[in-house]
Amino acid sequence: MPELGWELKKGLAKKNPIFMLMLGLCPFLAISTSVENALGMSAAFSFVLLGSCLLVSCIRRWVPRNVRIPIFVVIISGFVTVTELLVRAYSPTLRERLGIFLPLITVNCIVLGRIEAFASRRSPLETVADALGMAGGFCLAITSVALIRELVGTGGISFFGHTWTLLAQSIYGFQLSPGGFIVMGVILAALKKKGVI
Amino acid sequence: MEAKPIIALTLICALWGMVLGFVHQLTEAKIKEAEQKEKEKQLLQIFPGCTFEEENGIYYCYSENQLVGKAVEVQVRGYGGPMKVLVGIRIDNTIQGVRVLSHNETRGIGTKATDPEYLAQYEGLAYEQLAFRPEGEVEAITGATITSTAILQAVREAMQHA
Repeated sequence: MPELGWELKKGLAKKNPIFMLMLGLCPFLAISTSVENALGMSAAFSFVLLGSCLLVSCIRRWVPRNVRIPIFVVIISGFVTVTELLVRAYSPTLRERLGIFLPLITVNCIVLGRIEAFASRRSPLETVADALGMAGGFCLAITSVALIRELVGTGGISFFGHTWTLLAQSIYGFQLSPGGFIVMGVILAALKKKGVI
Repeated sequence: MEAKPIIALTLICALWGMVLGFVHQLTEAKIKEAEQKEKEKQLLQIFPGCTFEEENGIYYCYSENQLVGKAVEVQVRGYGGPMKVLVGIRIDNTIQGVRVLSHNETRGIGTKATDPEYLAQYEGLAYEQLAFRPEGEVEAITGATITSTAILQAVREAMQHA
């Protein structure tokens, strides 16, 4: 099925949730300060997106049109709570790093956006492809921005207890939100110029 | 009024409530354990090699069955919201060590005042010395005045409690 391949691939570039749809930028800017945080956020986000999209797609025929949004939000917040409980139990350090942005995945517009625009209208199989692509696109975007922000902002990369110092000088501003916007803008410009998105 | 939306909402909420209750039960013990471990790790940083006993929120620290001091957890308001500070006090009422357990300070600015290197200046101080220079012996950090003040306040409060 060529369509399924497109649903999977579109999230990575042509409909990248961060660079193209420009959704969920608040947690994106807050968390993309280090590669480790970015990967942690990607994992939590992917779980919530995949889980809630799949569930919505499975029950889409029984959801009355006029109360669909409350039902979607209940489903999303349920998955977020499950994620938070699991993270608190098995990785307190990750919880410390993500802080308030872990529970805030509930109001991340990428999740509700994908459910409303895609999962509530399509089959579970297509939905899984879409959610995987969107999660991959989010992970790709946040990790690449985090890589630059951490490298330029702190002068090195730290990863699971190892720290590599790569630059003699660092510009601290890249760790703050304005730096995040600048990095994002430059990447966006480069991607547009190359015609990737 | 249609009944279908009401039934759908009630069903989904009840079902999800059950799932959440189940996950909560699965993880509850593990979460408690993780939190306890974290606190013990912080306590051990202040009082290395000690064993701890909790009573009314105060941790009594024993080294070879000898009471060497106690640790108190205080919550104060920082720049970004509540901040939890753990203060270790020696038996002679001087400070053994200070650690920030949780905070929401501005990364890179307020967090400078939560670093162990900054907090090390509190070691060995007595209650009378707990004020900013020149009145006392504590140095504040430029740009992190509110955070520094909150920590100072937390330490003073802890000394009063213990």
